[in-house]
Amino acid sequence: MTITLILEQTFNGLQAGVTLFLVAAGLTLILGIMDFVFLAHGAQVMIGAYAAAAIAEASGNFYIGLILAIPVTFASGYLLEYLLIRHLYRRDHMEQVLATFGLILFFNELIRVGFGPAALYSDLPPSLSGFVEILPGTPYPVYRLGVIVAGLACALAIHLLVVHTRIGAMVRAGANNPEMTAALGINIKILFRFIFAVGACLAGIAGMLLGPLTSVQPGMGEPLLILSLVVIIIGGIGSVRGAFIAAIIVGLVDTLGRVFLPGLLRLVVDQSTADGAGPALASMLVYILMAAVLIFRPTGLFPAKG
Amino acid sequence: MTVPVLELCSLDKSFGALAATRDVSFSVQPGEIHALIGPNGAGKTTLIQQIYGASAPDRGMVLLEGQNITSMAVPDRVRAGIGRSFQISNVLMDFTVLQNGIIAEQARLGQSFRFFHPAFEDSALIDGAYQILDRVGLTPRAGQKVSNLAHGERRMLELALALATSPSLLLLDEPMAGAGPEESQRMADIIDGLRGTMAILLIEHDMDAVFRLADRITVLVEGAVIASGTPHEISNHKAVKAAYLGSE
Amino acid sequence: MNRPSTVLALIISAMRANRLLWGLIAGFALFPILTYTADLPFWNDIAMRIMLLGMAAMGLNLVLGYGGMVSFGHAAFIGIGAYCVGISQFYGLTNGWAHLAISILACGVAGLIIGYLALRTTGIYFIMITLAFAQMLFFLFVSLESFGGDDGMSIDRADFLLVDLYDPHRLYFLIWLCLSFVALALMLIVRSRFGVTLAAIKSNESRIEAMGLFPLRYKMTAYVISAVICGIAGTLFASWQEYVSPDIMHWTRSGELMIIIILGGLGTIAGPLVGAIVFLLLEEILPIMLGSIAPAYAENWMIIFGPLLIMVVLFGRGGLTGLLARWEKAGRTGTRHENRP
Repeated sequence: MTITLILEQTFNGLQAGVTLFLVAAGLTLILGIMDFVFLAHGAQVMIGAYAAAAIAEASGNFYIGLILAIPVTFASGYLLEYLLIRHLYRRDHMEQVLATFGLILFFNELIRVGFGPAALYSDLPPSLSGFVEILPGTPYPVYRLGVIVAGLACALAIHLLVVHTRIGAMVRAGANNPEMTAALGINIKILFRFIFAVGACLAGIAGMLLGPLTSVQPGMGEPLLILSLVVIIIGGIGSVRGAFIAAIIVGLVDTLGRVFLPGLLRLVVDQSTADGAGPALASMLVYILMAAVLIFRPTGLFPAKG
Repeated sequence: MTVPVLELCSLDKSFGALAATRDVSFSVQPGEIHALIGPNGAGKTTLIQQIYGASAPDRGMVLLEGQNITSMAVPDRVRAGIGRSFQISNVLMDFTVLQNGIIAEQARLGQSFRFFHPAFEDSALIDGAYQILDRVGLTPRAGQKVSNLAHGERRMLELALALATSPSLLLLDEPMAGAGPEESQRMADIIDGLRGTMAILLIEHDMDAVFRLADRITVLVEGAVIASGTPHEISNHKAVKAAYLGSE
Repeated sequence: MNRPSTVLALIISAMRANRLLWGLIAGFALFPILTYTADLPFWNDIAMRIMLLGMAAMGLNLVLGYGGMVSFGHAAFIGIGAYCVGISQFYGLTNGWAHLAISILACGVAGLIIGYLALRTTGIYFIMITLAFAQMLFFLFVSLESFGGDDGMSIDRADFLLVDLYDPHRLYFLIWLCLSFVALALMLIVRSRFGVTLAAIKSNESRIEAMGLFPLRYKMTAYVISAVICGIAGTLFASWQEYVSPDIMHWTRSGELMIIIILGGLGTIAGPLVGAIVFLLLEEILPIMLGSIAPAYAENWMIIFGPLLIMVVLFGRGGLTGLLARWEKAGRTGTRHENRP
């Protein structure tokens, strides 16, 4: 257990947390403001990843892939809300679950038909493929560092948007009291569409950033979806700030837990028990954390609704 | 000296900066009809919520027949003898009137946790349900789905269900809200008929009904009790007149 | 109507109240005769899958359709039931009845714990939490290397004493028997004082509190019962397939159960069974249909199923049993009936 390892894994945890935040931010607003169970949010991640990979392939430039994929994902979210989602707001939760579940099936299959079932590997340009020394003697992949920076930049942008603009004020009002916000005459329909599109965009950005790290394949968004649900439960539905803090916590706990828990266990119990229980416990760690938050604070750490 | 059915001791409750209940103390004697009046926003419903158990006071005590129920959950308070009729009809909309009665009857008998025999076909439950409905004259409408009932009929069902548990303290939260003159009269007659059998805490805006029915009246203004006494005393009370009756 | 004084009268009255259900169950009983004479034993397998899936969906429907609790984690209980077989055998226990008993106990306890934690919340929280817990259990079993982990473990078909399960007909009827038992139990529960109270809680929880009852007790009990039913389905499934893997409790399986319920109709006992029939038939038919139009894409039949599901949600009220009920009503009165939402 060296400093290098700890530092490296901590940064990995931050990177995981930051990408998780991008997915959770949009979803927490959709859940909190529209009271809409949008299961297909993972599909938005997938769309973003595929859009970036395809455009990068077509243009030969990784950065162009990233930049052009952003409006693509924004548009996909916007269209989806306009064509389907807005008809489901008044339905009960189970129907929302089923309809968005159908969307997941559809999108995954659509991607399979369009791009094949095998994973796409996106190559990193040479400028992002190297290592950088975050501390003397501790090399860290440039790209992962870039993801952390990009994620934090997005978080800052969201913060500025939510706290310092009129639209942001409307979003906050909507998160705190949707009925009253509508009663105040704010065009809820456009607001919802905007929130949805921005959420899709953020999820897409997460997908684009993760593409080179994991792999671009059908269904890649679902594990992130479920983990971001855990983040939202811990952070509180409707709270972007809660999503950020919870995402960082979850990212760190999950990453560090997987790496260090088996070792830590060996200090407490015997080798064979630790080897058997270690990985199992590590994979359940974030859920145990979620259960703990539920017991003491059922509405999460930073609930948006006062 | 008789133990009051309900005794409130220095109840305080604030929502942030807003003090909704301020040092409220009064009592309700067995068998009396006690009206709680006050302008809108005086905190009457908040107070009822604290007596009922749906919300907890910041300070103070609620005593039911001498027993401290301040930390008891709603169903426990109901079992201890509190009944409540809600301001907005809180009946089971997807069921028929008779089925509402059956569910109330089996709850009263403590039988709700049984798994075998069909509840809606049980003759003992049906008989008990009809007795509940008879008290408010809803028997002719027994087979109707509650969503098809007129507003006034729903208020009657609301009252019937509240009476089903044979409470020692009945909380009536604006029972005549939205009812026409005929229904209000009928409701008032029923409440009048309950006098002596149970204590009733009545929130009502209909002053005719209040002065006809109430044995005693407590006046709540901005969360605090400004007067408590017989209808005669209240109607001559200077502060009450100024705050409430005078502004009518 | 007088109180049925004997168990038999109780059963008959329950059956009369739901003829569709018992018609289907009778149909399943007679089905092997059909496949035997037509020499299509493959369809017996499909029927067994339908019965097991239908059983699990019926279990979920108790909390979903009747209790109004949208639990997205019930596949976890199917998985626990399945792994009870595998793990028991790993430790030398091969008696099928013992497996069932262990499964009932394990799912009961799991249902109690998860139910208690999850039912402290409502609405979207509840859905998310049940999903998260199911995922947690999925990861747990994936990481248990000694029980096969990601690859799963193979199982010998259980020894059910008196019932030699290697005889496919005996297996079929064991499954049929369990289905009938579950259906009967649910029929009785749903019409009982407990079931009626549960439905009332779904309708108006605060009214039930005002009657002096604690809604949580009823919801938790229903949750445990539904978990146990799913567990039984899982146990039988594992024994039949002679294999179990974490995939059986993947969260999309929970989605499948919900799809089945909405296809068949929410608030009826027969609904999930009807839904299971439709779902598994679609699973067989859609690839064939797609294959005849675009042979290269036969495997991608989900691309039709997804939108189909969305259509059902948007336009299909009450699923198939709702549709049947509307036809029946229209037929009886001779007019078109406006269905109540």
